[in-house]
Amino acid sequence: MGEPIIGTQSISSAPALALLEARAVHKSYWLGQKEIHVLRGASFSLHAGEMASLVGPSGVGKSTFLHVIGTLDPATQGAVLFEGRDATAFSEEELARFRNETIGFVFQSHYLLPEFTALENAAMPALILRKPREEALAAAREVLQLVGLGHRIEHKPGELSGGEQQRVALARALVLRPRLLLADEPTGNLDEATGEGIHQLLTELNQKLGIAAIVVTHNQRLAERMPRRLRLHEGLVIDAA
Amino acid sequence: MKTRFSFGAAASALVVALLAFGAQLGLRHFVGEKTLLSPDAVLAISFGVEALGLLAAGFVASFFGGLRSREQFVSALLLVPIAFGILFLVKPPSFSYDRFYADKPEMLVWALFVGASAFLLGLWGASAGLLIGAGKKPDLAFAYEIGIARTHLRLTRQTALMLLWIGLSVPGALFGAGILTDWHAGARDLTLWHKVGACAGLGSLALLIGYWIRTRVLNARLLPGQAKRRPATLVMTFISIAGVAVGVWALTVVLSVMSGFEADLKQKIIGTNAHAMLLKFTDDFSDWKTVIPTVRAVPDVVGATPFILNEVIIANNKGSPSGAELKGIDVASVGTVSELPKQVIAGDLAWVETPQNIPMTAVAPHAGVSDQLSGDDYQEYLDSTFGRRRDHPEEGSASKIDPSALTKMPGICVGKEMSHSLRIWVGDVISVITPLGEMGPTGPIPRQKAFRVACILYSGMYEYDSKFAYIALTEAQSFFRMKDNIVGLEMKFRDVDQARGVGRKVVAALKGFPFRSKDWADLNRNLFSALKLEKLAMAIILTFIVLVACFNILSTLIMLVLEKTKEISILKAMGARDASVMKIFVIEGVTIGSIGTAIGLMMGLASCSFVQRFGLRLDSDVYYISYLPVLVDAGQFALVACVSVCLTYLATLYPAIKASRLSPVDGLRED
Repeated sequence: MGEPIIGTQSISSAPALALLEARAVHKSYWLGQKEIHVLRGASFSLHAGEMASLVGPSGVGKSTFLHVIGTLDPATQGAVLFEGRDATAFSEEELARFRNETIGFVFQSHYLLPEFTALENAAMPALILRKPREEALAAAREVLQLVGLGHRIEHKPGELSGGEQQRVALARALVLRPRLLLADEPTGNLDEATGEGIHQLLTELNQKLGIAAIVVTHNQRLAERMPRRLRLHEGLVIDAA
Repeated sequence: MKTRFSFGAAASALVVALLAFGAQLGLRHFVGEKTLLSPDAVLAISFGVEALGLLAAGFVASFFGGLRSREQFVSALLLVPIAFGILFLVKPPSFSYDRFYADKPEMLVWALFVGASAFLLGLWGASAGLLIGAGKKPDLAFAYEIGIARTHLRLTRQTALMLLWIGLSVPGALFGAGILTDWHAGARDLTLWHKVGACAGLGSLALLIGYWIRTRVLNARLLPGQAKRRPATLVMTFISIAGVAVGVWALTVVLSVMSGFEADLKQKIIGTNAHAMLLKFTDDFSDWKTVIPTVRAVPDVVGATPFILNEVIIANNKGSPSGAELKGIDVASVGTVSELPKQVIAGDLAWVETPQNIPMTAVAPHAGVSDQLSGDDYQEYLDSTFGRRRDHPEEGSASKIDPSALTKMPGICVGKEMSHSLRIWVGDVISVITPLGEMGPTGPIPRQKAFRVACILYSGMYEYDSKFAYIALTEAQSFFRMKDNIVGLEMKFRDVDQARGVGRKVVAALKGFPFRSKDWADLNRNLFSALKLEKLAMAIILTFIVLVACFNILSTLIMLVLEKTKEISILKAMGARDASVMKIFVIEGVTIGSIGTAIGLMMGLASCSFVQRFGLRLDSDVYYISYLPVLVDAGQFALVACVSVCLTYLATLYPAIKASRLSPVDGLRED
């Protein structure tokens, strides 16, 4: 009960240990008899509060990489360590808890639940955590303010513009104050100006809340502005900084 | 995720299943021996406990993670030989005929049956375990799951009200129609509330139809594309609800009608035959006058009366003979055990003891009977008996006999059907012939005696009305040369369903042997077991309707899962557990099932009320009941509801487990 709803997590708690570390991650799919080797030993690490962009041509496996380090998809080989703990060894229940509390996802499509209001959508992770409804809604209201949607909380996704929908999705990803935000082309479906706004918001939130983030994007200009730039090339992560 | 075979899961499932099996055998033995419960009740209790135990076995296995179907299969496989061994040692009575021990093939069948039910019920129990997240941190909450399930089903306040309206209108209109029929016929038991309810029911249906027409008309005016499109799954949801409702409706109505028949039959049998008979293993029951007070003093015994029963031939003056059961009764006390005095439709039961009171002229049938017996058939019957007596008394052989001799003739009461076939009425003379006569040179000579008809009885059972004739006890004793002996005592108890137990108490009060008691169920065992079997068969057949409706739910849910793959994925990405996803779809299926069941039950209740009030006529020549009998049994309705909801729960399992096993990335790939 004592934990604050808002507040930066202590970044300096374990300076030696990376927040996220991928060690020689392989991932392959089977298309019938044909094996498609997407990730071929990708390794990298990310520290708490760090923000990075991930670029690469279409089909190179950026989304796959994001899914694997976000524990949505198990790696074929290799390890994903989160503060030194191996996420590939987690049970189903631990994985769910981990995704719920530690990682926030934003995708190219907003994937909001169409029958729920912006407020309820943003509160969903808190409800999944079994927080009392009032508490969950209060946290959602706060985070919606933060993304600049305090005035549209009772609208359903169908009644919001594309940029607003993506802001709600961002609010939903942040409602439980995760340590890591994984954004998969969050501006891919938006026009340039709106996309610019979302990116700005991401940067702001990173600075304000100290949430580490990896943002996949096609937009070179936006990628350049990130403190750290990663590139996925032939199944490997290359630090372009 | 591949899980390894868990010996712990298999072993614990086996242990719990064995405990369940042992509990079943033990309960059947102990409860069967020690209580006065009916054998059916003992069977139901012991098998119910076993089923719960097998469910628990699966539930326990699920705590080792997952459904554990392999482990449960192995444990069920092991259970078969063990169960066979236990049965072999215990030597249980045969299931079909409890006077024999079960033979080896039967035991094998039982063991296989136990194994199969252990596997199926185990999977069912394990699904409940999955739902609460067994084996990990259990999670009993389902708040947001309900919210999501509600949006899938489009269950807003508006649609819920609409559903309630539809669900209440149809049964309400049926109920109202029944009340209106009664109202029209001038029934007196209708209160204002009945009438208001009837009008509300019919009005609500009319409004519903009006609303529907209005919506159709408004929709017809819309331009293409303007109309709101409903997703296919929503339409399928409605169809699923309707399917369950129809199944439950059919099941409740048919079972209520069959219960009605059974109750009607039981009431008629008990009305004529008393609840139980006290008999002796010996022929000599001449001490009955001292026995009666002892019997009447036993708690729960309401009445006791002596009787004599023998088979005779009855013939009218034209000589057309007819076999009959002649019963000697004590008019003063017979009313305390049976409904006989109430079954008189013409004459008077007391006249069997005071035949001098039987009038010489034709007596008219009692008023009030015509309410019960009306129609062309009854008119034809009256013409051929009462009318004949009135217009041609000489045909009843009255004119050939001296009137003073007539008044001295003993009285006899016959059933309506017998009076019909012999064309006799109150005051007519008939001959009763018994083969138990004196010895003559060529063997026993049948003895014959003339009786005058004192009354006509109508019980409603063709068999009784065509076969039974009643005379005074003393007359029977002298006719059959029995001195002061009787055949037995008929008894009536406070509660007819306790007949077996009270009968035993009576025998115990008389110090047992040579007394014995036979209750109405013993006396009519074949009839009632046939009825029960028929009811069971009907229930099973009609449950298939509900089962088919469950397949509807199954396919609706599969469609929903496909439609909501993205949603499931995003929920999982947000940290929803497998159990939560499963809960969402189980809640949806069970909601569909429960709404359908509730509507079906209301439809069933309304239909039964309608049939009761409207009075559906039956061909009384075939059924010997003039109106379709209906008995609404709350327990039966509850059982149907239970079965229906359990089946819908089962139907949800496959789609729900499939949905819960979807990987988060399945729905997140951009296409």
